[in-house]
Amino acid sequence: MNLYLDAGILSALVVLLVCPFSTRLARANWVTRAPRAAVTLWHSLGISATLATIGAGLCVATERFHAGFVGGVGELGEGMVGGHPLQGLGLPDALGLTLAADVGVVLFSVVGVVIVRTVLARARHRRLLNLLATPSQGCMGTLTLDHPSPVAYCLPGIRPRIVISSGTMRLLDQAQLAAVIEHERGHAHERHGLVMLPMTSLTEPFRWIPFARLAPRAVAGLLEMAADDHSARRHAPSSLASALVALSTSAAPPRCAFAFASHGVNVRVQRLIGSDRTSKRAAIAAGLLCTLAVFAPLAVVLSS
Amino acid sequence: MAALGELERRVMEVLWGSMGTPLTGRQVADQLPDRAYTTVLTILDRLRRKNIVERTTEGKAHRFAAPASRETYMAQLMVEALGSAQDRQAVLVRFAEVVGPEEAVVLRRALEDLPDEPGGT
Repeated sequence: MNLYLDAGILSALVVLLVCPFSTRLARANWVTRAPRAAVTLWHSLGISATLATIGAGLCVATERFHAGFVGGVGELGEGMVGGHPLQGLGLPDALGLTLAADVGVVLFSVVGVVIVRTVLARARHRRLLNLLATPSQGCMGTLTLDHPSPVAYCLPGIRPRIVISSGTMRLLDQAQLAAVIEHERGHAHERHGLVMLPMTSLTEPFRWIPFARLAPRAVAGLLEMAADDHSARRHAPSSLASALVALSTSAAPPRCAFAFASHGVNVRVQRLIGSDRTSKRAAIAAGLLCTLAVFAPLAVVLSS
Repeated sequence: MAALGELERRVMEVLWGSMGTPLTGRQVADQLPDRAYTTVLTILDRLRRKNIVERTTEGKAHRFAAPASRETYMAQLMVEALGSAQDRQAVLVRFAEVVGPEEAVVLRRALEDLPDEPGGT
């Protein structure tokens, strides 16, 4: 019945999730064999850590009711509805309540701001594309950009745009080009822009938390692999692998550090030319860990 | 919407092609023979409201010009598509990152070992 103990357990869970678990997951090799499940796992870690933090705050704030977590939160809610939310509130209760409310408010406002910023940036980019890119003749639903740099990307949105530059078309043969376009279609169909949104919003404000540093990069890499798989189901994986090598080695490397990104290209090429690109066992393992992560904080608070 | 965007692009190409000389609506429309004059005027007005086209008035005639060149817009687009992560808010997902020379050797070698057999799984 001691909610302070629960709060301690939840806090420990948060620390475990955002530090050692995140570091381990970022280094794990098995996740590349189930990229989509692994993306869900990263999201689950984030959700679980958020729930546990809010839960820990509420545990501290509701201990004084001696009614367990559910009863305590109920009484807290009644107090708020009844217009006397602060009645009988001691210092620890107030601190707990503040923590719970702040984490919720900060997370939602930060995510909201980044969503708005990203949507505006995408709209601006779409306007540029409208002025500069022409619909491709050969490949349905893609835009051609008359530029010598070899670029291929997907602009996410309600109607995602797939952009291929003339430099890319010159560099690749028909089979490679088809594989690349299918890769971009994978991003578009699976709405990777949307999947990435909450992750990008974490990086800037929470740089000091390992999870916030690691998750966006890891998820971005995994989404590339998911799109590779989408393409490899329809075209020869070797075409995509050779296109990937051709594009990533064509231009002079920019001055900024690309160590992680290049590592990503290597891993992607290896899994495209290897025989065990995806594995059911990896997907099941990731799924189990997802369930465990999300239910752990719920189990702690509901057990009391 | 797609057709409108297409027409905006063609109008811009006419203005960019005039090498900075402001054109009247009629002159723009003459270069787009498959479109009505009024349609072209509407598009020019839309582009003016988006600040992509500037309008100057001499007497009764409006003249239109593109203040920024096609290359300026292209450079901006390329920065957003290829730039560092901060510049690349819009385009989150890009097919291939550029790798260094050592990495390139490793990647090419990996491909050489690949048997020549097409066909996916």
